[in-house]
Amino acid sequence: MDKTMKNFYWFTAAAVVLTVLAVLFFPGVEDFVERTFQRYLGQAAR
Amino acid sequence: MKFIKKIIIIVFCLSLIPIAAVATVGAKARFDDGPNRVFSGGPLIAGDLHTGPEPDWSFVESISTIEMQLLDPPLSRRIWTAEYGGKVYVWSGYMGTTVGRLWKRWPSQAERDGRAIIRINGVRYERELKRIKSGEVLEGITAAITAKYPSQTTRTAVEEGGVWVFEMAPRS
Repeated sequence: MDKTMKNFYWFTAAAVVLTVLAVLFFPGVEDFVERTFQRYLGQAAR
Repeated sequence: MKFIKKIIIIVFCLSLIPIAAVATVGAKARFDDGPNRVFSGGPLIAGDLHTGPEPDWSFVESISTIEMQLLDPPLSRRIWTAEYGGKVYVWSGYMGTTVGRLWKRWPSQAERDGRAIIRINGVRYERELKRIKSGEVLEGITAAITAKYPSQTTRTAVEEGGVWVFEMAPRS
């Protein structure tokens, strides 16, 4: 595994953890995620 | 080949970020007393339980959404409602598509076991969901729906199975 990919995996892992924490603890993030998801889901279900 | 494999890995890894966000919102909602927008919430706990005579449901005309929980499974969702002829109704669109049926699972669950609790203005009502598949009454119900919401629900759509309509009857 080259160093660039290794760094990318660490970046991804950190981003996923930060995303989960943001959804759990930052006001407004949950609402934003849900609104965005609802929009795409609505389009896909048509 | 190696390059394509790397691209696939990168796309997969990046897609984990929105997937984690959506999964977290969905999981968090399960522990709430009531639903949020898309994801099912936990059972409706708070609020007085209505007892006594059947209410005059015309008051729901000024209410945009209600909270509805099935007893099995005990999950709640936010849903549109309309009154017609002294009875109150809920419905689900998108039932004619695969994505819609995967998204909207409560209608088939309600068809199996219609026992439900709804919460309106902080008051909980015990109801029994009864699906209406056809009949003249659908003309009036769909007219009430389209008058209240930006919806194009028609009797034909209901009878063809694209929209599932339920009467929220009193529980016997």
